[in-house]
Amino acid sequence: MHPQLEILLQIQDLRSQRRELVEGEHFRRMEEEEFHINVEEAVRDLDEKIAEMKAALTPAIRSRFERIDGRGRAVVPVLNGTCYGCFTAVPTSSTGRHGALLTCEHCGSFLYILD
Amino acid sequence: MELREFFNRDLINLNLAGESKDDILRELIALLALDEKSQAILFKMLKRRENLGSTGIGRGIAIPHCRSLVVNRLRVAFGRKPEGVDFKAIDGQPVRFFFLIVAPPLEVSNQYLPVLGKIAQFAKDPDVVGRLAEIETPDQFLALLEQKAD
Repeated sequence: MHPQLEILLQIQDLRSQRRELVEGEHFRRMEEEEFHINVEEAVRDLDEKIAEMKAALTPAIRSRFERIDGRGRAVVPVLNGTCYGCFTAVPTSSTGRHGALLTCEHCGSFLYILD
Repeated sequence: MELREFFNRDLINLNLAGESKDDILRELIALLALDEKSQAILFKMLKRRENLGSTGIGRGIAIPHCRSLVVNRLRVAFGRKPEGVDFKAIDGQPVRFFFLIVAPPLEVSNQYLPVLGKIAQFAKDPDVVGRLAEIETPDQFLALLEQKAD
């Protein structure tokens, strides 16, 4: 796996956690009541980690990440040859390039091959 | 939707070997049979979730959970460490029973929260801790899930 993709995946996963805590009312309540999480502190902590991870991206990739991020998910899985950002087929010539940092030709998202 | 639907024998380890929180998380992740890189990323995510606050909810039970792009559907696993390990649980007691839950960031059927809730509910059943300690085979664990769903 491309080292920058590894960072991008972690950023995306941390953002999923953050979104769930901030926007998912039932999830937030469960984290508070069952797991005794302080949500405000947790969100602050996640924000710090996300900023830390973003700083580890190269300027070109960070810039692209931020550009795509404004209009959808920046990192999306490819399942059965389909980009799950825009649901178009990803050419097999791309998915076969293990170790490369792939992006979707249609939506521009960074691709993570799950097949 | 019942918990039993998400488990099979391969997702159950009744004799975890790990002696630390990290070891246990790695063993639980290994039950999901992901590739090495995905396992490493998932470990980091679960650790980050644990750093926000332990998922050890008391009575010897922990429910490590997170969303991650490394899975394409909701995945669960169960592990038991008869002697228990320090998991920084809410009640300060060692944890013996571990339910791992990992879901992709977006799910069509949105099962993550209901499954998390069902496992938390299952764990609160006064009878469950004793039964989990006694089971001898993965099939008995599956039978317990079925029985408690009735």
